[in-house]
Amino acid sequence: MARHDSLAAISNPLINPKQLLAFQQQHQPQPEADTAIFKLSLLTQTAGVLLRLPQEVIATSIVVLQRYITASTTEIDSDLSLTRADFTPTSPLIQSSSASLYLTAKQSFYPLSPRSIINAYALLTSPSTSPLPLINPSAISLATSAAPPTPHAHFVTEGTYLARLATLFTTEQYILTTLSFSTTVTLPHPLALTYLQSLSATPPALASRTLSHLNAALLSPQLLYLTHQPPALAVAAIYLSARELGIPLVDDEVPWWEVFDVGREELGFLVLSLASLDGFVVALRENPAWI
Amino acid sequence: MTSRWANADDDAELEAQRQKQKAQKRTLKEEKQRKLEDVKIAEHQQAIAEEPEPSKKRQRTASPSQETAKEDAHLIEFPSPSYAPSRSLDLYQVLNNIEEGSYGFVSRAKLKVSGDIVALKRLKLDHRSQEGFPVTGLREIQTLWACSHPHIVKLREVIVGSEPVQDVYIVMDFLEHDLKTILEDMDDPFSPSETKTLMQQICSATEYLHSNWIMHRDLKTSNLLLNNRGEIKLADFGMARYTSNPPPKLTQLVVTLWYRAPELLLGVEEYGFEIDVWSIGCIFAELLTQEPIFQGKNEVGQLFAIFNLLGTPTRESWPGFRSLPNAKALHPLLSNSQSSKSNLTASKFPYLTKAGLRLLLSTLSLDPNDRPSASQILQHPYLKEDPRPKAKEMFPTFPSKAGQERRRRRLTPQAPDRGEAPKMEAGDFASIFARSSEEQSGGGFALRMG
Repeated sequence: MARHDSLAAISNPLINPKQLLAFQQQHQPQPEADTAIFKLSLLTQTAGVLLRLPQEVIATSIVVLQRYITASTTEIDSDLSLTRADFTPTSPLIQSSSASLYLTAKQSFYPLSPRSIINAYALLTSPSTSPLPLINPSAISLATSAAPPTPHAHFVTEGTYLARLATLFTTEQYILTTLSFSTTVTLPHPLALTYLQSLSATPPALASRTLSHLNAALLSPQLLYLTHQPPALAVAAIYLSARELGIPLVDDEVPWWEVFDVGREELGFLVLSLASLDGFVVALRENPAWI
Repeated sequence: MTSRWANADDDAELEAQRQKQKAQKRTLKEEKQRKLEDVKIAEHQQAIAEEPEPSKKRQRTASPSQETAKEDAHLIEFPSPSYAPSRSLDLYQVLNNIEEGSYGFVSRAKLKVSGDIVALKRLKLDHRSQEGFPVTGLREIQTLWACSHPHIVKLREVIVGSEPVQDVYIVMDFLEHDLKTILEDMDDPFSPSETKTLMQQICSATEYLHSNWIMHRDLKTSNLLLNNRGEIKLADFGMARYTSNPPPKLTQLVVTLWYRAPELLLGVEEYGFEIDVWSIGCIFAELLTQEPIFQGKNEVGQLFAIFNLLGTPTRESWPGFRSLPNAKALHPLLSNSQSSKSNLTASKFPYLTKAGLRLLLSTLSLDPNDRPSASQILQHPYLKEDPRPKAKEMFPTFPSKAGQERRRRRLTPQAPDRGEAPKMEAGDFASIFARSSEEQSGGGFALRMG
């Protein structure tokens, strides 16, 4: 819990095996829980972009949200069920997404007013005007149609605002006490850039692909940011990106990842996980029954 | 000259024979050597052939050049603490209240399981607030958790009170004293060597914070805790926050008034670590005299106290101060052409060396750019010259007030509440400075009444 260690600057508190097991047992069947985690993380990401937050803040809030959902596996929070996932603005899952975004922004250099958060989430969770196909199936046709969506569908009245404000603050407090206030997240992004430099791998395409993989990993239903330390994530993203782009790194024979304290086994697992996300999303798109 | 017995022919023959023998011997020897090497090579090859199959892990490494690489590369084990819900206040037994801090109540408590004595600080949660959980509380926890330094108080955990009122408490190591109370109760100030020990510890903690991009923003003697082993620990991070370069949007309403830097009083928009150094200067002076050096009743009075002692700023001593938001209010004062000379002289600090006075004057520079950084203070000749800082083991001990009884109410003003920094008008100053030119300028000594 306490981060009194020289490695604290590049490590995170991780989920422990007990928590992971309890979490998986609580949220069955698996495919639906996976979809819900993906949707929820994507929603948080979209809200952050809509509110013009830097990716640093958005990524932190997604990790905080995932920590909260996995840590609260007691009976009290049984309404945080992922399998009966309910994506209306007042559902506990949406509330925890907005509260973690609000909480993270508040601690960063880019604080947001509660009203902005509430308005953004009202728009994103509205079944008729949301730009997210996962919530509003007609979103794609909406984007191409000439007529703008009617604002009535996501308008927040003063009464609704006050009610949601109260819930926002309650949920915020819940998140804080459930995580014992460990809301600091070390992100792998700056590490990845440092590693690329020390590998003398300078092509901008490689760096940008690496960061893309790291951002995509935030949405992974495998909760990679909760199970692996930042250096491992950074190394895996670099390895995969270099392979994809055909950019040779150090002499291929040298296990360079060991320099960054990542074992071959962990690297292999992470590379597979990162590469499999694409297939997961494609399957999701083709199988509307899961949505 | 040849010997008369010499027979040239015989000699030549003998010589040839000898050479022949030598050559034979040499070839024999060489052959032997060659054979020996051949055997060695053969043995070696045999050895290689007989070598056991490389382990699975080695097989996986692609090329034979890798055989030399260690298969068990030394990978660092990362600490992997988990996250879990906060524990409950029920684990602790509250013993006695200590004081009310800038925004929370502190009490002494005992961890029931181990008997450890700790300090519990209850965060003030305003349920009517429009921001949810107070950001100051979040920052206190965030910054304290990031810190690991011998002279910064250690955060042990964050716990919650029992339902229905969800109070939040932070649990810290308990220290017996705070510097403020000790200074008030002492008959004589700390000796020069003790002062240096204290300054060194305060500055090393501040340097640690600054190198980690944390501004404390409320350094004062009552936030400096002292244990009976001569160790200072910096506490109360209620105002602390992370900063950046260029600085983010910051509030000017920080630091307890008596320790607040002049640029903050003048409403500067962007400020940095220099404000903490000003506070260190105030603390240094207080260690020497047992009295806070500037004791203004409000913002205007505070500026007056500062300028009265250090002289009014001029274009030379503080370039650019006129462009600060509240500087317009100073015009009546500046047009009066007050003395811009500093009254802070050696006569005020009888036990202070020249180097010490130089350090004090530089930390109390009106222009923030003239103040040394915390690491520069640590390198200052004052801390190196004799008498050297006293070893902390030799530090005197004091009876603890916090340990047993309620402390007396502190005289220092509280750290400011969050909100808009007050704007100053020219009128505010006119009345205060109206008669100041008639006052006696500071003499070499002051008569203390009462």
